[in-house]
Amino acid sequence: MKKRGFTSGVVYLAADALRSMRANAASCALTAVTLGFSLAIFFLFLFIFINLESAVNKWGDKTHIVVYIKDTALKDGVERLRDSARFIPGVKTVEYVSKEKALEELKAELKGHEEIIAGVDVNPLPASFDIRVSPAYTDAQGVASVVGTLKAMSWASDVQYSREWVEKFSAFLRFIELAATAVGVFIAAATVFIISNTIRLTVWARRDEIEVMRLVGATDAYIKIPFFIEGVIQGFIGGVFALGVLTAGRYILLGRMPGYLDFALSLPLDFPELLAALAASGMLMGATASIISTTRFLGN
Amino acid sequence: MIRMFHVSKNYEGGSFALSDVTLKIAKGEFVFITGSSGAGKTTLLKIMFGSEAPSEGQIIIDGRNYFKIPRAEIPYLRRRIGFVFQDFKLLPQGTVFENVALSLKVMGVGSIEVKRRVQKVLSYVKLSHRANFRAAVLSGGEAQRVAIARALVKDPAIILADEPTGNLDPHLAVETIELFKEVNGRGTTVVVATHDSTLIARYAKRAIGLESGRVVA
Repeated sequence: MKKRGFTSGVVYLAADALRSMRANAASCALTAVTLGFSLAIFFLFLFIFINLESAVNKWGDKTHIVVYIKDTALKDGVERLRDSARFIPGVKTVEYVSKEKALEELKAELKGHEEIIAGVDVNPLPASFDIRVSPAYTDAQGVASVVGTLKAMSWASDVQYSREWVEKFSAFLRFIELAATAVGVFIAAATVFIISNTIRLTVWARRDEIEVMRLVGATDAYIKIPFFIEGVIQGFIGGVFALGVLTAGRYILLGRMPGYLDFALSLPLDFPELLAALAASGMLMGATASIISTTRFLGN
Repeated sequence: MIRMFHVSKNYEGGSFALSDVTLKIAKGEFVFITGSSGAGKTTLLKIMFGSEAPSEGQIIIDGRNYFKIPRAEIPYLRRRIGFVFQDFKLLPQGTVFENVALSLKVMGVGSIEVKRRVQKVLSYVKLSHRANFRAAVLSGGEAQRVAIARALVKDPAIILADEPTGNLDPHLAVETIELFKEVNGRGTTVVVATHDSTLIARYAKRAIGLESGRVVA
């Protein structure tokens, strides 16, 4: 008896999957649309989270440290001191505020009350570095580590920063991450649950066909492969559908939302990347759900 | 070809379908399994086919002990056995050709070979003219012949038929058994379960009687 080779066997089963999708077009479309909406909800949440995190991280830029320089140390040259601060892990920028500039700023702040410093002949204000920390160091621990290193510098006379702001910001960031993880896990679980049950229904709708196939000697793999291929194709269609839903939703909301919420609508990925991410996620979910459903159905 | 030693099938609650069945069916033999409804005929065939497991006993089919065959190998054993069901078990939306071809497709037979063999077997059961009709529109007699063609197309060593004439009128019932006789004449072992005593009387074949799950004759 002449048998098919492996490649032609897979091609044959793929063609079988397409034939079966055509024959069960309505339920296949329903699965793809359900998968598409589930993916759209998951990615919508993901984008909101990414945009929110990036907005929150921008607030983190407000975290700055002022380190005052001993007058005696200035003779060594500002650049050398600046370098020693710049290379501390977590330091993003170092801005030098000279004694003269500090005095000018003070005068500007005291506008209308210049008499307070009128009698001062010598500039009493110290020079300083205004230091911004990189995003990974904006939490309380990160700032404390930068501050600790700065304090240990021989040229530093004092280090000041807003401990209260840093601690509140750090706690807020932790809350956002925790809430996002909880909601993300919930949505992902719900998505897999919905998709695997939708595919289960399509498997169940074809239970007679599966029973006959088993009775005539089909192996489990022979039964599963077309469902697997169907799951991948439905996942791909669902991914493209999700892209349509997200793009349409964004288009509708653009210009209708208050300006301060604009950040929520920015896409963290380019269009081709987004398409690839959605299609790949859809295919992965479709394939996983079809494996789970058919394995459960076949009872092994 | 088929040997059963002290086979029993019990269900939860103490009821049983088969009790201490021992039998031997030789290669190329034609055997009727007889008995009234509920005597255990279907269970006996299902156990021979591997779709139900016995509670006790040993079964050797085609030289292999059922209990030593891993689950993954059962499909390969089924490819050596053709099963004809009383309710036909056809795919109603599939054509006659597709229903018969399924037996070969699951075995990985190439499409040219499938076409050749399906056409040949459909001609054998006199259904070539219905090849492109959907199974749903066939008469009972035609559907039964499609089921037989599906069992025959893979050249099985054994044919098991569970009440294959149960849904047919007497004329078609005789035609069906004649077809099995013809298949048997080519060397295939045939086991037909039936409660139709007129059919059994008509053919001089060995009959194994079952009553309440026990062999009585």
